Amino acid sequence: MRAALEHRDPDRIPLDFGGTAVTGIHVSCVAALRDYYGLPPGPVKVYEPYQMLGLVEDDLRAAMGLDVTGVFSRKTMFGFPAADWKEWNFRGLEVLVPGDFRICTEPNGDILIYPEGDETAAPSGRMPMGSAFFDTIVRQPEIDEEKLDPADNLEEFGPISEEDLDHLDRSVRAAGGSGYGVAATFGGTAFGDIALVTAPFLKHPKGIRDVAEWYMSTRTRRAYIHGVFEHQCEIGIRNLARIYFHIGDAVDCVFVCGTDFGTQTSAFCSVATFRELWLPYYKRVNDWVHANTAWKCFKHSCGSVERFFESFIEAGFDIVNPVQCSAAGMEPAALKRKYGSRLVFWGGGVDTQQTLPFGTPHEVREEVLRRCEIFAPGGGFVFNSIHNLQAGTPVENIVAMLDAVHQFNGVAHA
Amino acid sequence: MPDLKKLHEAVIEGDWKTAAAVTRAAIAEGVAPLTIVTGCLVPAMDEVGCRFECEEYFVPEMLLSARAMKASMEIVRPLLAAMGTEPVGRVVIGTVKGDLHDIGKNLVASMLEGGGFEVIDLGADVAPERFIEAAAAHNAGVVALSALLTVTMTSMKTTIDAFEAAGLRGKVKIMVGGAPVTQQYADAIGADGFGESAATAVALARKLVAA
Repeated sequence: MRAALEHRDPDRIPLDFGGTAVTGIHVSCVAALRDYYGLPPGPVKVYEPYQMLGLVEDDLRAAMGLDVTGVFSRKTMFGFPAADWKEWNFRGLEVLVPGDFRICTEPNGDILIYPEGDETAAPSGRMPMGSAFFDTIVRQPEIDEEKLDPADNLEEFGPISEEDLDHLDRSVRAAGGSGYGVAATFGGTAFGDIALVTAPFLKHPKGIRDVAEWYMSTRTRRAYIHGVFEHQCEIGIRNLARIYFHIGDAVDCVFVCGTDFGTQTSAFCSVATFRELWLPYYKRVNDWVHANTAWKCFKHSCGSVERFFESFIEAGFDIVNPVQCSAAGMEPAALKRKYGSRLVFWGGGVDTQQTLPFGTPHEVREEVLRRCEIFAPGGGFVFNSIHNLQAGTPVENIVAMLDAVHQFNGVAHA
Repeated sequence: MPDLKKLHEAVIEGDWKTAAAVTRAAIAEGVAPLTIVTGCLVPAMDEVGCRFECEEYFVPEMLLSARAMKASMEIVRPLLAAMGTEPVGRVVIGTVKGDLHDIGKNLVASMLEGGGFEVIDLGADVAPERFIEAAAAHNAGVVALSALLTVTMTSMKTTIDAFEAAGLRGKVKIMVGGAPVTQQYADAIGADGFGESAATAVALARKLVAA
């Protein structure tokens, strides 16, 4: 994987599934894959309940022929530790969830989940009947313009605790000893990630927490947003320094930010706005990482984001994900030609909006082989589907995808 | 006479306070409510749609303009209803069952309202029977279905099938949209139209009610 990240031709295209919370696998698909590969049955751990991502254990990683393992923050999106596992029947599938995963089911079948596992607080996530993961519940206190203080949007950002450092230390040691490439998510450097703005991990969020209000604030309350990002940036860099002191260069890349700047056909803001409001903070974080560590900086953004790539590069990002080739202006060959020597494409392997969930195994295989032919030459490519493998994806299609990459790599698997 | 250009500008600039103030002043000075809608709000939102299409405007600007338009419409709407003014058409809109995402749907609803339609917004996670009930209750000519997720867009087909089963499919036009939705998918599930963006949705709805 290191060769691929350094734009050298690797011996084979490295594969990631499960290394980050945006390159993961829905728990139902993990269970189906374990069954397909004849691995010991048993409930799969839901390590990230927000998206209901299942843990890819070492035996499945080997069966799938993967090359990356992940290091994650101690706590989940709902603010409780991913620990003290207990059984839960997830609409007919036996899974393991963290001990503080506390929910209630409404009469219509919707499932509500509580922040920090505190049932006395208002629920912060809802999984509607018919869905397969949670969405956050907006809990927006009344906004008093006179009293708005960026500190209200900074409650979740503070000095990293000894407990969290100890967790990261142990996780990195375990991952480093596995022989796999290591992708690490430390948290704290996502500037305005809309999934985090609603603060599903806090019991009583303050500040601007409504999705639409936040988007409008990027235009109407720009000084406020700068105030939030400025302090978040300072805290984030201080925390990265402490983390680095503990773990050193034992990880290959760090997930810096998952803020989405693209939609299917357009963008959430202009390039000029990006450069004024986001770029300075990204650059400070990434410059610190490059000046002090051997880590590569990972940027996730769905959608039509080619217009931002030059700015991403200027901001110091090394890796982009998920490379949504189905969005406007994201034609794979053009991306590779224009940015292939300067950005690592971690994703783009197969479309998860149409081909993978709804296509035939043959169609999946053909698309994967075409993408490998485009993205592989010269390194700079880590194979991943475009975002997580979603619930309901036929296991035959997932296996066809993996087999196609292994065939391209000339490696026999499972 | 109040300067309706100021209302036009306030909507385009996303200034809801000015939009509401100018609307109130216009009504007080006797400007016909329908004139405010057709002569000001509709062209202003058309302009907003154009700016979005040519990527001068993005989601934040669209949200701000929609809020300003709504501030004006909230004053005008009861007056139009009292006068028995018929809208361009009635649209029942919602995000389909299982899907809680509503930003895109809200933008489409705002653009439709700004385009002169009466919009009955059912919110998110809307079951097929609720779409049917609302379409029948409001005598809607168009039903607009939104989905952001691959796993939930199949609810669009379930909803269309439910209209068929209820014997109402011939009475409404159904338009669909959302990130994973394509023209091909819209054709496959028997929708009458596919809107690629909030701005194009208005033109599509106008075409559907005229058909």
